[in-house]
Amino acid sequence: MEEERTIAAISTPIGVGGISVIRLSGKNALKIANKVFNTTLKIEKIEPRKMYLGNFIAQSFKEKCMMVWFKAPNSYTGEDVVEFQCHGGTVIANGILETLIENGAVLAGPGEFTKQAFVNGKLTLDEAEGVMDMINAESESEVRAGYNLMQGSLSKEINNLQNELTKMIAKIEVTLDYPENDYEEQTASETIDGLQHIKEKLEHILKTSQTGQIVKNGSKILILGKPNVGKSSLLNAILNFERAIVTSIKGTTRDILEETYTYKGVKFVLTDTAGLHEANDVVEKIGIEKAKKAVNFADVILLVIDASEPLTQEDEEILELVKNKKTIVVKNKTDLKNVVNLNKYNFKHIVEISALNGQGVEDLKNLIYNLVIDENIINSNLMLTNMRHVEAIKKALKFLDECLKGLNAGITLDVVSIDLKNLWMALGEITGNNNNEEIINEIFSGFCVGK
Amino acid sequence: MINNFDAIVIGSGHAGCEAALALARMGQQTLLLTLNLDSIAFLACNPSIGGTAKGHLVCEIDALGGEMGIIADKATIQRRMLNSSKGPAVQSLRTQTDKIMYHTEMKKVLENTKNLFVKQGEAKNIIVKNGKVQGVKTLQGDTFKAKAVVVCTGVYLKSDVIIGKVRTNSGPNGFAPANHLTASLKKLGLTIRRFKTGTPVRVHSDTIDYSELTEQCGEDDIQTFSFMTKTPPKNVIKCYLTYTNPHTHEIILNNLDKAPMYNGEIKSEGPRYCPSIESKIVRFSDKSQHQLFLEPEALSTKEVYVQGFSTSMPTYLQHEMVKSVKGLENAHIMRDAYAIEYDCIDSLQLYPTLQYKNIEGLYFAGQVNGTSGYEEAAAQGIIAGINAALFLQNKEPFVLKRNEAYIGVLIDDLTTKGTNEPYRMMTSRAEYRLQLRQDNADLRLTQKGYDIGLVSKERYKVFLKKIKQINEFKEQLKTVVSPKKIEKMFNEKSETVPKVGISIKDILKRSNITVEDLVECFPEFKKYPYNVLKEIEIDVKYEGYLAKQNIQIEQSKKQENTELPDDIDYKKIKGLRLEAQQKLNQIKPLTLGQASRISGVSPADITVLTVYLKTLVK
Repeated sequence: MEEERTIAAISTPIGVGGISVIRLSGKNALKIANKVFNTTLKIEKIEPRKMYLGNFIAQSFKEKCMMVWFKAPNSYTGEDVVEFQCHGGTVIANGILETLIENGAVLAGPGEFTKQAFVNGKLTLDEAEGVMDMINAESESEVRAGYNLMQGSLSKEINNLQNELTKMIAKIEVTLDYPENDYEEQTASETIDGLQHIKEKLEHILKTSQTGQIVKNGSKILILGKPNVGKSSLLNAILNFERAIVTSIKGTTRDILEETYTYKGVKFVLTDTAGLHEANDVVEKIGIEKAKKAVNFADVILLVIDASEPLTQEDEEILELVKNKKTIVVKNKTDLKNVVNLNKYNFKHIVEISALNGQGVEDLKNLIYNLVIDENIINSNLMLTNMRHVEAIKKALKFLDECLKGLNAGITLDVVSIDLKNLWMALGEITGNNNNEEIINEIFSGFCVGK
Repeated sequence: MINNFDAIVIGSGHAGCEAALALARMGQQTLLLTLNLDSIAFLACNPSIGGTAKGHLVCEIDALGGEMGIIADKATIQRRMLNSSKGPAVQSLRTQTDKIMYHTEMKKVLENTKNLFVKQGEAKNIIVKNGKVQGVKTLQGDTFKAKAVVVCTGVYLKSDVIIGKVRTNSGPNGFAPANHLTASLKKLGLTIRRFKTGTPVRVHSDTIDYSELTEQCGEDDIQTFSFMTKTPPKNVIKCYLTYTNPHTHEIILNNLDKAPMYNGEIKSEGPRYCPSIESKIVRFSDKSQHQLFLEPEALSTKEVYVQGFSTSMPTYLQHEMVKSVKGLENAHIMRDAYAIEYDCIDSLQLYPTLQYKNIEGLYFAGQVNGTSGYEEAAAQGIIAGINAALFLQNKEPFVLKRNEAYIGVLIDDLTTKGTNEPYRMMTSRAEYRLQLRQDNADLRLTQKGYDIGLVSKERYKVFLKKIKQINEFKEQLKTVVSPKKIEKMFNEKSETVPKVGISIKDILKRSNITVEDLVECFPEFKKYPYNVLKEIEIDVKYEGYLAKQNIQIEQSKKQENTELPDDIDYKKIKGLRLEAQQKLNQIKPLTLGQASRISGVSPADITVLTVYLKTLVK
């Protein structure tokens, strides 16, 4: 039911500002929040209009953030509203939004928060017309943005998949509606094969959507390593300019330093956890715990090791932490000596550089790029960055799995077609083609039926 | 002779009969005006009722208290359940019907129905004053007064029958056409369109060589159309299957210039799903043969209908074509095949009650709305009749939703999307088809039919008994039995025997166990009739899918139940896009749900409408 769903969206401008606000509105707002937000208080104890600090548990990271609950009807929309305030930038905000959707929220439609506000009597009658104008304006700009994304090969790809599905459904439906015609029946195994093919393609597209996000929002690169292995000089070498990192941190309350650079047109966000440790000289205290959290945010980890010395206990702890992550081991100070032995870790990517004289830095940048970006994807323009499209594809994949489940359980095709049509409609949300008449047209144009 | 009625139904085809019966049974003094008493409920095309989705419609008409199912059962001479190897949703009853018996029986019912007056005469003018219906004037000079009129003129409006070069102003089967009413409809603001359909040859049974043809026999233990039929009809005839061949195709392809469909003689829209043999051959040239079914028209005649051989070729070519088919080498053609063109209206001008938007009390049903098929016509007839009666009684209209009945899908499609060719019902058109089955039509609709006063006490009693038995059986599903009791059955059906007790429901859930097996193993269930057992079996076996569809239905309910006032001027709602404004003003949907299905109305427009509706409340 439209007005009983709980909607979610990022309420602050995307990619700008120090913090992001993600808003949830609806009957289940608090319930959903409770599933993903850990605080010391029990949910029953949470009071409206109070800020709570806690951990937001997203799929791929944990984020320390603030939560506030506005109890209905004393909220912007007049419904229960929960807002999360997290670090700025798009990766975390998107991750939080995605997690909320996975837990039962629905991506808010254009102007939907304001619409709800009006519906619940939070806005005056005079404002109604403005609301109505806004809905279509926002929707159109979204459609336009979506249309731009859909230009080119992605649009073709999804259209093709939907067409394949149209043919498959028509072949099933024609034998149901015209059982007396002598058409060959679509078999379950044929259907399974066809669906597997569509599934692979959709999963591929979904994978590329993550690449798309990276291109849009930048990829997170984390520099790790014990003190004095040359992290700061590596940062400087990559950024290609001299910078007194320690100075830039002194006196700030930020616990993570971020710098961005662009390589082959892609934005990279370099994060150095080191500065804080060294500046406060509390490495032992913060130690492995701090690193653990940072590791989960990163797309790629640069683990810096002093090549001139054997591994210490601290090195080993960090190596243990990142061994299952996308990691590049950077052996620094190779201009001095190269005595360190990493054989027992099996790292795929080990580079040797000298941050001091810049040797090997260019190769390192290239390697980072290759690890993050699948060039095939960039070049084929198969990118999906629109959250709504991502949601539609995820929904499509869910229905597809339901189809396969039914078929494998021996359910007849006329019943499985319930999910087939749902799958077809989900793709239609992207292609804009969700008129059932299409399938009927396919029946009549593809098959000679009738008395 | 009285001249004042509550309602007048124009036309006595399948729509007209149901409309008139619904009105009369709901207590309205009703006049059924027909061009010819001998054409009442005439099966002008194939001697068959039912088939995929159409069988569903018949069961629904029956569940509402209509007549088609009862008479179709009476006149059945062969019956089969189509799709019996598939799921329960798409199983459809198709019967061969004795067309003479069907006509006679329906005429008998009409003549014996209280409040119903049947009269031969041609409607010429519909009298309207101040946007309200007043009555009907006939060509013969009579004036009949009524506050409601249901137009069910079928394919008779200014109809032309076309055979080769010969175009005759005639109704189907040589019956007279209705040439005068179109002008009156135009005057009332209706958009008149021209559609086309056709029918094949009838041949003399004794001149067919059946020896090498494939027999098609009926089936005995299957559901009937009517929930009231106690003794299922017997299979007393056989049908036969033969094929066209390359020679037949050659005759047609060599003479396409003589085919009215291809030489420009026929310009009107024909149905894609019921193509003439010439269009099948042209459009699907890769097929070397097409099926032809030979179906007896009635027990009292030797005429045989050649299904699949619809054409408007000149008669001498029809003869050549028939001769080229195996079994028909010496066939004597008793009636020629023909195409028929006729006037119909644009169904988008109707509300889902089937009332014309501009005139209170004026309803349309059947082929005049641009549909095809007896069942589609009858389904509209009963709804138009019901709504005309409710209108006369000053009661709320009766509209079935898409999740309630195929009838709902049919009428929603007609009044929301419209149609550019004769519309045929298909199971693919119903998004909730697992819910909309033949077997549960009574469970879906009989209470509603009773509430509006159409379902008889007798039918209602049968219905209540079924409900009671279903509930009783449902209770027993929870009973847990010991593995020992079912061991033999499970082993025979190659199901793994559970180690602990198992409920009746879980037994029935097993894919290899049917409800028949269950009854075999637990004789105490033998007391339940077959239709009750089947209902439970479907409920249990498809529980997951039914639940899934129910969620979707629930989700759509809010929109479906949100009514839109019919006096909204959508042009004045600023937030709507221009296309949406125009479409909404044209169609004037009754609910937000109907609005959302109009092509050209976007989800954002629906959101705007939601907000707009709230401003009205304030």
